[in-house]
Amino acid sequence: MSAFLEFHRIGKRFPGVQALDDVSFSIERGSCHALIGENGAGKSTLGKILAGIYQPDAGEIRLEGRAIAPASPLEARQLGIAMVHQELAFCPNLSVAENLCLGDLPRGRAGWVDRPALRARARTMLAAVGADLDPDRLIGSLTTGLEQLVQIAAAVGTGARLIVMDEPSSSLSAGETRELFRLVRELRDRGITLVYVSHRMEELFALCDTITVLRDGRHVATERIAETRPQRVVSQMIGRELRVQTPVHLTREPGAVQLSVRGLGSPGVFSGIDLDLRAGEIVGLAGLVGAGRSETLQAIFGLDPHATGEIRVKGQPLPVGSVTAALHARLGLVPEDRKRQGLVLGLSCRENTTLAALPGLTRFGWVHRRRERTLAQHYATQLRVKTPTIETIIGGLSGGNQQKVALAKWLARDCDVLLVDEPTRGVDVGAKAEIYPLLDELACQGKAILVVSSELPELIGLCRRILVMRAGRLVGEVPHTAATEATLMRLMAGVVEEERPARDGLE
Amino acid sequence: MSSPLRTVLRFQESGLILVILALGALLYGFSGTVRTPVFEQGPDGSRQRVFVTDASGERVPAFVEKNKFLNAQNLAQLAKDTSFIAIMAVGMAFVIISGGIDLSVGSTYALASVLGALALHHFGPEGPGADSGTLGIVVGAGVCLGTAALCGLANGGLIVTLGVHPFIITLGSMAILRGIAFVATKGQSVGGFPQGFRDLVRLEAGQGLSLVPLLVMILVTVVGWIILARLAAGRRVYAVGGNELASRFSGIRVARVKLGVYLISGIAAGIAALLSLGYYGAATSGDGQGYELNVIAAAVVGGASLAGGRGSALGVVLGALIIQMINSGIVILGIDQNYSQIIIGAVVIAAVVLDNFNTWLGKRRMGKG
Repeated sequence: MSAFLEFHRIGKRFPGVQALDDVSFSIERGSCHALIGENGAGKSTLGKILAGIYQPDAGEIRLEGRAIAPASPLEARQLGIAMVHQELAFCPNLSVAENLCLGDLPRGRAGWVDRPALRARARTMLAAVGADLDPDRLIGSLTTGLEQLVQIAAAVGTGARLIVMDEPSSSLSAGETRELFRLVRELRDRGITLVYVSHRMEELFALCDTITVLRDGRHVATERIAETRPQRVVSQMIGRELRVQTPVHLTREPGAVQLSVRGLGSPGVFSGIDLDLRAGEIVGLAGLVGAGRSETLQAIFGLDPHATGEIRVKGQPLPVGSVTAALHARLGLVPEDRKRQGLVLGLSCRENTTLAALPGLTRFGWVHRRRERTLAQHYATQLRVKTPTIETIIGGLSGGNQQKVALAKWLARDCDVLLVDEPTRGVDVGAKAEIYPLLDELACQGKAILVVSSELPELIGLCRRILVMRAGRLVGEVPHTAATEATLMRLMAGVVEEERPARDGLE
Repeated sequence: MSSPLRTVLRFQESGLILVILALGALLYGFSGTVRTPVFEQGPDGSRQRVFVTDASGERVPAFVEKNKFLNAQNLAQLAKDTSFIAIMAVGMAFVIISGGIDLSVGSTYALASVLGALALHHFGPEGPGADSGTLGIVVGAGVCLGTAALCGLANGGLIVTLGVHPFIITLGSMAILRGIAFVATKGQSVGGFPQGFRDLVRLEAGQGLSLVPLLVMILVTVVGWIILARLAAGRRVYAVGGNELASRFSGIRVARVKLGVYLISGIAAGIAALLSLGYYGAATSGDGQGYELNVIAAAVVGGASLAGGRGSALGVVLGALIIQMINSGIVILGIDQNYSQIIIGAVVIAAVVLDNFNTWLGKRRMGKG
């Protein structure tokens, strides 16, 4: 195989950061090439340079030996390079067919859009990626997985020879991820070269042929997947060895029941949820996307006005559907989507930390400013939030640091029961390694913690027991000692009959 | 850069103060002078013209040359005009920071004015309750402020319960409230208020400087600043405007916050209406027409972001001063009055563009630092 694409001493500077610095490596024709690195390592920037969204300040890209410099996504398309974005790339209010042909709508006489031709062309494009989808459906009505499929169809349909995929699996369910992997392999077998940007190690090892690791904008290594190991890649990413510790709380006996839920349900979403949560234990809640995990947490926290059932905190009944009551009972919820639900991005670190704790910091309505600052500073230090000062606007911090503040908000409120939804989503490896011991420490202090996560290794490594939800119901409980990805996956997907090897569940 | 200078430049409102100084200098430079007769206090306390003897030995009335902009009378006028807009703009700041908009302030002002005027007329010299003294004034003021508060509550209540965008709700109430004001007065002007009330509001500190509107404006600004910058309630306004969903997830009762900000906006319009009753001595349903433009303009020029989550009480008051200086400048510079709306509109757009540019600069600077 020859070098299909070559990066030669690529540099890119943004105000304040050298996003890429002297990056050189090459990608083979028809391979699936992984690009990995922590948040801010420059992997997305490199992908965007390739797709013509950014232009490099230094260096050269060579496609089949010829220097190219795509100045726009359109020019990249003409060179046969397309990108599948992690965020919305389409107009949600238009149909699949319209979006697929947006750049080149088929016109009939008098300039009217030729609808039958539009539909036919869209169907051909969808069929090329094996998608059986009505081209008249609105993009906005599709799941993330289907929408991504349409993006890939658009890329393939316009004759792309190189497809850049930026975190393609980050918001897909396990089933959708499996479909995506199948498609990626199929595209590769057809001779299309893929650049797969991600920081999910398991995926890369299951899917890719070669891997390039970036750190702080520099190229660290390019190796064949077969010749490296995940542990090695992790240390290349963070520049040091990562120690995996067994959580301390597992060695202790949990205390009294803090939260007790009986028959909790919400019409059409989930029903019959019974669970107990004791002081000093971390309990996991696993399930596929759409199983009702986040909805259950939100209902416990009083955010679901339609919820019914019985909730008791330390034996006291908690009215269902009232956030105020949940707050008084010392419950806290770290939501799934910190940018949308967790933080006010325009406010400072300090103001976000104390947002839920304000009632305890006020006297006759006045905010006690010194105590507020002390409290915010305390948690910024304790959680090692990397910020210039606590007055820094939180929107400018990295995902991991934002997540720490989202957590600090409930610590500042001094909650006894913490409901944590996806504690490490969009957080890089280094910050993950800080968040796990933190949750462990909180459990050791006697807090009762319920964690929802889509990353099974996370739950297995962290929780005393793991509850599994499927289609809105609790379908099982797996103790820490018996938890493997295979057993959990079988419960999550409702597969009982066949015995599968452990790794298969994620592929 | 020396550190005190940096502190001054970091101060959020320093840009606005610079704009005000620049505008003042501009108006001073271009306005030219006017000859005004000189008055003096006579022995019996009355105002008398001053006469001097000119070169040819005749007694002629004395005149002084004054800058058209920088003279006590004009500044006093400017202060009074600013007061009305600024008071309403502080209320508007709450709404805008919470991520909403209140188009009905002008109509709330009109309705509060005419209902207050009807009550005050009842207790006025020609009304049936002429002898009630202070009680009459208190009832009249109560009617005026209470009406405005109810208007605000109605706006907030509809926005919260119906979940309709505040633009639509307040666009509707803007028409409805003015309609009620018209129906209540049959389009007639209502006057004849108790003299004590008028004297109180028109209290002057020499040179025609009305103290009461100015003092009330300062009071409203200080109270607004305290609520927004120092009280937990204000923090919640910023939080709701910055991210409503995250606020809900933090246990903030969003509906209550929204109800509160429209109530405050209504009350602020009521305070301005009450002052105008005392100052002008009459009200019609046509009062306050177009005030929403000036008030929203003041808030936006003063740095309140229509996206929510950003703004300050002091900022909008300075914004109100800028808007009034432009209005007054149009008169002083002899520009056709009809151009004033065009100019104000352009200033609003320019202010927002400038603000975006400034945010962009700030981001660049943050990136480099």
